[in-house]
Amino acid sequence: MGRPLLPILCVFLYDESILTLRVKMTMIFAFANQKGGVGKTTTAVTLADGLARLKRRTLLVDLDPQGHLALSFGLDKSPGLYRLVCLDEPLSEVVQSIRPNLDLVAGDKQTEKVKRQITLADFRESILSDLLANSGYDVILLDMAPSLDVLHINGLIAADWVVIPTRLDALAVDGVKEILTTMAEIGQNGHRYRGYSILPTFFDRTTRETLIQFEEITRIFGSNVWPPVPQDTRVRETAAYGQTLWEYSPDSSSVEGYLDGRQRLGGYRQVLGRMLEVIDG
Amino acid sequence: MVEAKKVRRTTLDPAVADLLKGMQQKQTESQLPRREREKLSRERAKIQSRRDQRATYDLPRSIREGLRVLAEDLRLPASQLATLALARFLNEYQNGSIDLGQYKQPSRSPRYDWNLVFPEEIVFAGRRKKGS
Repeated sequence: MGRPLLPILCVFLYDESILTLRVKMTMIFAFANQKGGVGKTTTAVTLADGLARLKRRTLLVDLDPQGHLALSFGLDKSPGLYRLVCLDEPLSEVVQSIRPNLDLVAGDKQTEKVKRQITLADFRESILSDLLANSGYDVILLDMAPSLDVLHINGLIAADWVVIPTRLDALAVDGVKEILTTMAEIGQNGHRYRGYSILPTFFDRTTRETLIQFEEITRIFGSNVWPPVPQDTRVRETAAYGQTLWEYSPDSSSVEGYLDGRQRLGGYRQVLGRMLEVIDG
Repeated sequence: MVEAKKVRRTTLDPAVADLLKGMQQKQTESQLPRREREKLSRERAKIQSRRDQRATYDLPRSIREGLRVLAEDLRLPASQLATLALARFLNEYQNGSIDLGQYKQPSRSPRYDWNLVFPEEIVFAGRRKKGS
Protein backbone atom coordinates (compact mmCIF):
# COMPACT_ATOMS: atom_id res chain seq x y z
CA MET A 1 0.00 0.00 0.00
CA GLY A 2 1.34 3.36 -1.02
CA ARG A 3 4.58 1.94 -2.44
CA PRO A 4 6.51 4.53 -4.40
CA LEU A 5 6.55 4.06 -8.14
CA LEU A 6 10.10 5.37 -8.49
CA PRO A 7 11.96 2.06 -8.07
CA ILE A 8 9.71 0.40 -10.65
CA LEU A 9 10.25 3.29 -13.02
CA CYS A 10 14.03 3.13 -12.48
CA VAL A 11 14.08 -0.59 -13.27
CA PHE A 12 12.07 0.06 -16.40
CA LEU A 13 14.45 2.80 -17.54
CA TYR A 14 17.44 0.66 -16.68
CA ASP A 15 16.10 -2.17 -18.81
CA GLU A 16 15.36 0.22 -21.64
CA SER A 17 18.96 1.47 -21.57
CA ILE A 18 20.23 -2.11 -21.76
CA LEU A 19 18.00 -2.68 -24.76
CA THR A 20 19.32 0.46 -26.44
CA LEU A 21 22.90 -0.61 -25.82
CA ARG A 22 22.24 -4.08 -27.22
CA VAL A 23 20.74 -2.67 -30.40
CA LYS A 24 23.86 -0.58 -30.98
CA MET A 25 26.28 -3.46 -30.38
CA THR A 26 28.34 -4.84 -33.22
CA MET A 27 26.99 -8.07 -34.67
CA ILE A 28 29.69 -10.49 -35.82
CA PHE A 29 28.96 -13.09 -38.50
CA ALA A 30 31.42 -15.88 -39.30
CA PHE A 31 31.25 -17.55 -42.72
CA ALA A 32 32.57 -21.03 -42.11
CA ASN A 33 32.72 -24.46 -43.64
CA GLN A 34 35.69 -26.77 -43.34
CA LYS A 35 35.07 -27.81 -46.92
CA GLY A 36 36.62 -25.51 -49.52
CA GLY A 37 34.95 -24.19 -52.66
CA VAL A 38 31.50 -23.80 -51.17
CA GLY A 39 31.21 -20.04 -51.72
CA LYS A 40 32.31 -18.62 -48.37
CA THR A 41 34.29 -15.70 -49.81
CA THR A 42 31.74 -14.79 -52.50
CA THR A 43 28.99 -14.90 -49.91
CA ALA A 44 30.92 -12.76 -47.42
CA VAL A 45 31.84 -10.21 -50.13
CA THR A 46 28.32 -10.00 -51.53
CA LEU A 47 26.57 -9.71 -48.18
CA ALA A 48 29.12 -7.24 -46.81
CA ASP A 49 28.70 -4.94 -49.81
CA GLY A 50 24.94 -5.41 -49.60
CA LEU A 51 24.93 -4.32 -45.96
CA ALA A 52 27.21 -1.37 -46.72
CA ARG A 53 24.82 -0.25 -49.48
CA LEU A 54 22.09 -0.26 -46.85
CA LYS A 55 24.25 2.18 -44.89
CA ARG A 56 25.39 -0.28 -42.24
CA ARG A 57 29.00 0.37 -41.20
CA THR A 58 30.53 -2.94 -42.17
CA LEU A 59 33.94 -4.54 -41.67
CA LEU A 60 35.17 -7.60 -43.56
CA VAL A 61 38.01 -9.60 -42.02
CA ASP A 62 39.98 -12.12 -44.05
CA LEU A 63 41.03 -15.05 -41.87
CA ASP A 64 42.19 -17.08 -44.85
CA PRO A 65 45.92 -17.05 -45.84
CA GLN A 66 44.79 -17.20 -49.48
CA GLY A 67 43.82 -13.52 -49.10
CA HIS A 68 41.02 -13.71 -51.64
CA LEU A 69 38.87 -11.00 -50.08
CA ALA A 70 41.22 -8.26 -51.30
CA LEU A 71 41.32 -9.78 -54.79
CA SER A 72 37.52 -9.88 -54.87
CA PHE A 73 37.51 -6.10 -54.54
CA GLY A 74 40.23 -5.61 -57.15
CA LEU A 75 42.95 -4.93 -54.55
CA ASP A 76 46.29 -6.57 -53.88
CA LYS A 77 46.66 -8.96 -50.98
CA SER A 78 48.13 -7.35 -47.88
CA PRO A 79 49.04 -8.42 -44.35
CA GLY A 80 46.26 -6.53 -42.53
CA LEU A 81 45.47 -9.32 -40.10
CA TYR A 82 49.17 -9.89 -39.43
CA ARG A 83 49.64 -6.21 -38.59
CA LEU A 84 46.60 -6.25 -36.32
CA VAL A 85 47.48 -9.39 -34.36
CA CYS A 86 51.28 -9.70 -34.52
CA LEU A 87 52.41 -6.07 -34.79
CA ASP A 88 49.73 -4.78 -32.38
CA GLU A 89 48.70 -1.98 -34.75
CA PRO A 90 45.28 -0.52 -33.95
CA LEU A 91 42.31 -1.69 -36.00
CA SER A 92 41.77 1.79 -37.42
CA GLU A 93 45.32 1.71 -38.86
CA VAL A 94 45.09 -1.65 -40.60
CA VAL A 95 41.64 -1.36 -42.21
CA GLN A 96 41.35 -0.36 -45.84
CA SER A 97 38.30 1.62 -46.86
CA ILE A 98 37.14 -0.22 -49.98
CA ARG A 99 33.60 1.02 -50.61
CA PRO A 100 31.30 3.54 -48.90
CA ASN A 101 30.54 2.13 -45.41
CA LEU A 102 32.73 -0.90 -46.08
CA ASP A 103 36.21 -1.53 -44.64
CA LEU A 104 38.52 -4.52 -45.01
CA VAL A 105 41.16 -6.18 -42.89
CA ALA A 106 42.96 -7.98 -45.69
CA GLY A 107 45.00 -11.15 -45.45
CA ASP A 108 47.85 -12.83 -47.26
CA LYS A 109 50.31 -15.66 -46.64
CA GLN A 110 51.53 -13.86 -43.49
CA THR A 111 48.23 -14.92 -41.93
CA GLU A 112 50.05 -18.22 -41.35
CA LYS A 113 52.37 -16.35 -38.94
CA VAL A 114 49.29 -15.07 -37.11
CA LYS A 115 48.31 -18.66 -36.40
CA ARG A 116 51.74 -19.40 -34.95
CA GLN A 117 51.68 -16.27 -32.79
CA ILE A 118 48.21 -17.02 -31.48
CA THR A 119 49.19 -20.59 -30.66
CA LEU A 120 51.90 -19.27 -28.30
CA ALA A 121 49.68 -16.69 -26.59
CA ASP A 122 47.73 -16.90 -23.32
CA PHE A 123 43.92 -16.92 -23.67
CA ARG A 124 44.58 -17.66 -27.30
CA GLU A 125 41.01 -18.57 -28.25
CA SER A 126 39.64 -15.08 -27.60
CA ILE A 127 42.38 -12.91 -29.15
CA LEU A 128 40.37 -11.99 -32.24
CA SER A 129 37.26 -11.39 -30.18
CA ASP A 130 39.19 -8.94 -27.96
CA LEU A 131 40.74 -7.15 -30.94
CA LEU A 132 37.36 -6.61 -32.59
CA ALA A 133 35.61 -5.47 -29.40
CA ASN A 134 34.46 -1.82 -29.42
CA SER A 135 35.30 -1.52 -33.11
CA GLY A 136 32.43 0.88 -33.76
CA TYR A 137 31.12 -1.07 -36.75
CA ASP A 138 27.49 -2.12 -37.07
CA VAL A 139 28.39 -5.49 -38.55
CA ILE A 140 31.60 -7.50 -38.88
CA LEU A 141 31.89 -10.41 -41.31
CA LEU A 142 34.65 -12.96 -40.85
CA ASP A 143 35.67 -14.93 -43.93
CA MET A 144 37.11 -18.15 -42.50
CA ALA A 145 39.61 -20.51 -44.08
CA PRO A 146 38.54 -24.07 -44.91
CA SER A 147 40.50 -25.53 -42.00
CA LEU A 148 40.22 -26.29 -38.32
CA ASP A 149 43.05 -24.42 -36.63
CA VAL A 150 43.47 -21.88 -33.87
CA LEU A 151 42.46 -18.97 -36.13
CA HIS A 152 39.33 -20.81 -37.13
CA ILE A 153 38.44 -21.36 -33.48
CA ASN A 154 39.16 -17.67 -32.80
CA GLY A 155 36.71 -16.73 -35.55
CA LEU A 156 34.02 -19.02 -34.21
CA ILE A 157 34.48 -17.65 -30.69
CA ALA A 158 34.32 -14.03 -31.89
CA ALA A 159 31.11 -14.74 -33.82
CA ASP A 160 27.57 -14.09 -32.65
CA TRP A 161 26.07 -15.87 -35.64
CA VAL A 162 27.63 -18.47 -37.92
CA VAL A 163 26.62 -18.71 -41.57
CA ILE A 164 27.56 -22.04 -43.12
CA PRO A 165 27.56 -21.87 -46.91
CA THR A 166 27.34 -25.31 -48.45
CA ARG A 167 26.98 -26.94 -51.81
CA LEU A 168 24.24 -29.53 -51.86
CA ASP A 169 26.33 -32.65 -52.15
CA ALA A 170 26.99 -35.32 -49.56
CA LEU A 171 30.57 -34.22 -48.78
CA ALA A 172 29.72 -30.57 -48.28
CA VAL A 173 26.75 -31.41 -46.08
CA ASP A 174 29.13 -33.48 -43.97
CA GLY A 175 31.23 -30.29 -43.61
CA VAL A 176 28.14 -28.59 -42.14
CA LYS A 177 27.88 -31.27 -39.47
CA GLU A 178 31.59 -30.82 -38.65
CA ILE A 179 31.18 -27.07 -38.11
CA LEU A 180 28.13 -27.61 -35.94
CA THR A 181 30.05 -30.14 -33.85
CA THR A 182 32.88 -27.63 -33.36
CA MET A 183 30.33 -24.94 -32.44
CA ALA A 184 28.75 -27.29 -29.91
CA GLU A 185 32.17 -27.93 -28.33
CA ILE A 186 32.80 -24.18 -28.15
CA GLY A 187 29.34 -23.77 -26.63
CA GLN A 188 30.22 -26.28 -23.91
CA ASN A 189 33.09 -23.98 -22.95
CA GLY A 190 30.72 -21.12 -22.27
CA HIS A 191 30.40 -19.25 -25.58
CA ARG A 192 26.81 -18.43 -26.50
CA TYR A 193 25.87 -18.06 -30.16
CA ARG A 194 22.78 -16.10 -31.09
CA GLY A 195 22.24 -18.66 -33.82
CA TYR A 196 23.44 -20.17 -37.06
CA SER A 197 22.20 -20.53 -40.61
CA ILE A 198 22.92 -22.93 -43.39
CA LEU A 199 23.12 -21.31 -46.80
CA PRO A 200 22.87 -23.62 -49.82
CA THR A 201 25.06 -22.21 -52.61
CA PHE A 202 25.66 -23.23 -56.25
CA PHE A 203 22.01 -24.27 -56.11
CA ASP A 204 20.68 -26.01 -59.19
CA ARG A 205 17.01 -26.82 -58.75
CA THR A 206 16.85 -29.01 -61.83
CA THR A 207 18.92 -31.91 -60.50
CA ARG A 208 17.62 -34.81 -58.47
CA GLU A 209 20.68 -34.81 -56.21
CA THR A 210 19.98 -31.20 -55.22
CA LEU A 211 16.42 -32.12 -54.27
CA ILE A 212 17.56 -35.12 -52.21
CA GLN A 213 20.17 -33.09 -50.30
CA PHE A 214 17.83 -30.11 -49.94
CA GLU A 215 15.13 -32.33 -48.46
CA GLU A 216 17.70 -33.81 -46.12
CA ILE A 217 19.08 -30.53 -44.76
CA THR A 218 15.64 -28.95 -44.41
CA ARG A 219 14.44 -32.05 -42.54
CA ILE A 220 17.40 -31.93 -40.14
CA PHE A 221 17.97 -28.19 -39.77
CA GLY A 222 14.45 -26.79 -40.42
CA SER A 223 14.25 -23.01 -40.21
CA ASN A 224 18.04 -22.74 -39.90
CA VAL A 225 18.22 -23.23 -43.65
CA TRP A 226 18.24 -19.89 -45.44
CA PRO A 227 16.93 -19.45 -49.01
CA PRO A 228 19.51 -20.90 -51.41
CA VAL A 229 21.71 -19.00 -53.84
CA PRO A 230 21.22 -20.20 -57.43
CA GLN A 231 24.28 -21.12 -59.46
CA ASP A 232 25.19 -18.48 -62.02
CA THR A 233 28.28 -18.21 -64.21
CA ARG A 234 28.35 -14.45 -63.69
CA VAL A 235 29.46 -15.04 -60.11
CA ARG A 236 32.76 -16.42 -61.41
CA GLU A 237 33.20 -13.47 -63.78
CA THR A 238 32.53 -11.02 -60.95
CA ALA A 239 35.69 -11.95 -59.03
CA ALA A 240 37.75 -11.66 -62.23
CA TYR A 241 36.66 -8.02 -62.64
CA GLY A 242 37.32 -7.16 -59.00
CA GLN A 243 33.72 -6.12 -58.50
CA THR A 244 30.95 -7.30 -56.25
CA LEU A 245 27.79 -8.90 -57.57
CA TRP A 246 25.81 -5.74 -56.79
CA GLU A 247 28.16 -3.85 -59.10
CA TYR A 248 28.77 -6.39 -61.87
CA SER A 249 25.49 -8.26 -62.25
CA PRO A 250 22.80 -7.14 -59.80
CA ASP A 251 20.14 -8.79 -61.98
CA SER A 252 21.79 -12.23 -61.97
CA SER A 253 19.87 -15.16 -60.54
CA SER A 254 22.46 -15.42 -57.75
CA VAL A 255 21.30 -12.04 -56.54
CA GLU A 256 17.63 -12.07 -57.49
CA GLY A 257 16.87 -15.78 -57.06
CA TYR A 258 14.44 -17.84 -59.10
CA LEU A 259 11.34 -16.21 -60.52
CA ASP A 260 8.41 -18.33 -59.38
CA GLY A 261 5.18 -16.76 -60.49
CA ARG A 262 5.30 -13.25 -59.13
CA GLN A 263 7.67 -13.98 -56.28
CA ARG A 264 11.42 -14.41 -56.12
CA LEU A 265 12.83 -17.42 -54.32
CA GLY A 266 16.39 -17.48 -52.99
CA GLY A 267 19.30 -15.30 -54.06
CA TYR A 268 21.60 -12.98 -52.16
CA ARG A 269 19.00 -10.18 -51.98
CA GLN A 270 16.69 -12.45 -50.00
CA VAL A 271 19.58 -13.75 -47.89
CA LEU A 272 20.50 -10.14 -47.11
CA GLY A 273 16.95 -9.67 -45.85
CA ARG A 274 17.31 -12.67 -43.53
CA MET A 275 20.61 -11.25 -42.28
CA LEU A 276 18.97 -7.90 -41.51
CA GLU A 277 16.26 -9.72 -39.57
CA VAL A 278 19.03 -11.28 -37.45
CA ILE A 279 20.85 -7.95 -37.00
CA ASP A 280 17.75 -5.94 -36.14
CA GLY A 281 16.36 -8.70 -33.96
CA MET B 1 -10.80 -42.94 -27.20
CA VAL B 2 -8.54 -43.10 -30.23
CA GLU B 3 -5.44 -40.97 -29.84
CA ALA B 4 -4.83 -38.64 -32.75
CA LYS B 5 -1.75 -39.53 -34.74
CA LYS B 6 1.07 -37.15 -33.88
CA VAL B 7 2.82 -35.61 -36.84
CA ARG B 8 6.15 -33.88 -36.38
CA ARG B 9 6.06 -30.51 -38.11
CA THR B 10 9.17 -28.75 -39.32
CA THR B 11 9.02 -25.00 -39.61
CA LEU B 12 10.85 -23.80 -42.68
CA ASP B 13 11.77 -20.41 -44.03
CA PRO B 14 8.81 -19.53 -46.32
CA ALA B 15 11.02 -19.13 -49.41
CA VAL B 16 12.74 -22.45 -48.70
CA ALA B 17 9.35 -24.15 -48.25
CA ASP B 18 8.00 -22.75 -51.54
CA LEU B 19 11.13 -23.72 -53.44
CA LEU B 20 11.16 -27.21 -51.97
CA LYS B 21 7.47 -27.71 -52.76
CA GLY B 22 8.00 -26.62 -56.37
CA MET B 23 10.98 -28.96 -56.80
CA GLN B 24 9.10 -31.90 -55.29
CA GLN B 25 6.14 -31.20 -57.59
CA LYS B 26 8.40 -31.16 -60.64
CA GLN B 27 10.07 -34.36 -59.49
CA THR B 28 6.67 -36.06 -59.14
CA GLU B 29 5.61 -34.81 -62.56
CA SER B 30 8.78 -36.14 -64.16
CA GLN B 31 7.71 -39.66 -63.22
CA LEU B 32 4.32 -39.39 -64.97
CA PRO B 33 3.68 -40.82 -68.47
CA ARG B 34 4.67 -38.49 -71.31
CA ARG B 35 1.10 -37.53 -72.22
CA GLU B 36 0.25 -36.43 -68.71
CA ARG B 37 3.52 -34.55 -68.45
CA GLU B 38 2.76 -32.66 -71.65
CA LYS B 39 -0.77 -31.91 -70.46
CA LEU B 40 0.54 -30.48 -67.19
CA SER B 41 3.14 -28.49 -69.05
CA ARG B 42 0.46 -27.01 -71.36
CA GLU B 43 -1.72 -26.13 -68.39
CA ARG B 44 1.20 -24.46 -66.66
CA ALA B 45 2.03 -22.45 -69.77
CA LYS B 46 -1.62 -21.39 -70.06
CA ILE B 47 -1.73 -20.26 -66.44
CA GLN B 48 1.54 -18.39 -66.84
CA SER B 49 0.42 -16.64 -70.02
CA ARG B 50 -2.72 -15.42 -68.23
CA ARG B 51 -0.88 -14.25 -65.15
CA ASP B 52 -0.22 -10.75 -66.48
CA GLN B 53 -3.90 -10.33 -67.36
CA ARG B 54 -5.07 -10.86 -63.82
CA ALA B 55 -6.17 -8.05 -61.53
CA THR B 56 -7.87 -7.87 -58.17
CA TYR B 57 -10.43 -5.20 -57.32
CA ASP B 58 -12.97 -4.88 -54.55
CA LEU B 59 -16.40 -4.97 -56.20
CA PRO B 60 -19.86 -4.89 -54.66
CA ARG B 61 -21.42 -8.33 -54.40
CA SER B 62 -24.37 -7.27 -56.58
CA ILE B 63 -22.04 -6.30 -59.45
CA ARG B 64 -20.16 -9.60 -59.29
CA GLU B 65 -23.39 -11.54 -59.09
CA GLY B 66 -24.95 -9.59 -61.97
CA LEU B 67 -21.87 -10.25 -64.11
CA ARG B 68 -21.87 -13.96 -63.29
CA VAL B 69 -25.59 -14.34 -64.11
CA LEU B 70 -25.25 -12.43 -67.38
CA ALA B 71 -22.20 -14.47 -68.39
CA GLU B 72 -24.15 -17.68 -67.72
CA ASP B 73 -27.18 -16.44 -69.66
CA LEU B 74 -25.08 -15.44 -72.66
CA ARG B 75 -22.76 -18.45 -72.24
CA LEU B 76 -19.70 -16.20 -72.26
CA PRO B 77 -16.64 -15.98 -70.00
CA ALA B 78 -17.31 -13.42 -67.24
CA SER B 79 -13.81 -11.98 -67.71
CA GLN B 80 -14.66 -10.98 -71.27
CA LEU B 81 -17.83 -9.22 -70.16
CA ALA B 82 -15.85 -7.40 -67.47
CA THR B 83 -13.26 -6.41 -70.08
CA LEU B 84 -15.97 -5.04 -72.38
CA ALA B 85 -17.62 -3.11 -69.55
CA LEU B 86 -14.35 -1.56 -68.40
CA ALA B 87 -13.18 -0.77 -71.94
CA ARG B 88 -16.46 1.00 -72.72
CA PHE B 89 -16.27 2.93 -69.47
CA LEU B 90 -12.69 4.07 -70.20
CA ASN B 91 -13.63 5.15 -73.75
CA GLU B 92 -16.65 7.07 -72.56
CA TYR B 93 -14.69 8.68 -69.75
CA GLN B 94 -12.01 9.79 -72.21
CA ASN B 95 -14.71 11.15 -74.58
CA GLY B 96 -16.09 13.21 -71.73
CA SER B 97 -19.46 11.41 -71.72
CA ILE B 98 -19.03 10.30 -68.12
CA ASP B 99 -18.68 12.79 -65.30
CA LEU B 100 -17.41 11.38 -62.02
CA GLY B 101 -18.02 14.68 -60.22
CA GLN B 102 -21.51 13.71 -59.14
CA TYR B 103 -20.15 10.66 -57.24
CA LYS B 104 -17.05 12.25 -55.72
CA GLN B 105 -16.74 12.86 -52.01
CA PRO B 106 -13.60 13.83 -50.07
CA SER B 107 -11.73 10.88 -48.60
CA ARG B 108 -10.27 10.78 -45.10
CA SER B 109 -7.70 8.20 -46.17
CA PRO B 110 -4.09 9.45 -46.43
CA ARG B 111 -3.74 7.48 -49.69
CA TYR B 112 -6.66 8.99 -51.62
CA ASP B 113 -8.14 12.43 -52.06
CA TRP B 114 -11.57 11.20 -53.14
CA ASN B 115 -14.04 8.36 -52.79
CA LEU B 116 -16.76 7.51 -55.26
CA VAL B 117 -20.10 7.08 -53.56
CA PHE B 118 -22.59 5.38 -55.85
CA PRO B 119 -26.35 5.70 -55.78
CA GLU B 120 -28.22 2.44 -55.29
CA GLU B 121 -29.52 2.31 -58.86
CA ILE B 122 -25.97 1.86 -60.15
CA VAL B 123 -24.73 -0.64 -57.58
CA PHE B 124 -27.87 -2.79 -57.77
CA ALA B 125 -28.37 -2.44 -61.53
CA GLY B 126 -27.27 -5.99 -62.28
CA ARG B 127 -29.55 -7.55 -59.70
CA ARG B 128 -32.63 -5.57 -60.83
CA LYS B 129 -32.18 -6.50 -64.45
CA LYS B 130 -32.00 -10.15 -63.49
CA GLY B 131 -35.24 -9.79 -61.46
CA SER B 132 -37.17 -8.03 -64.20
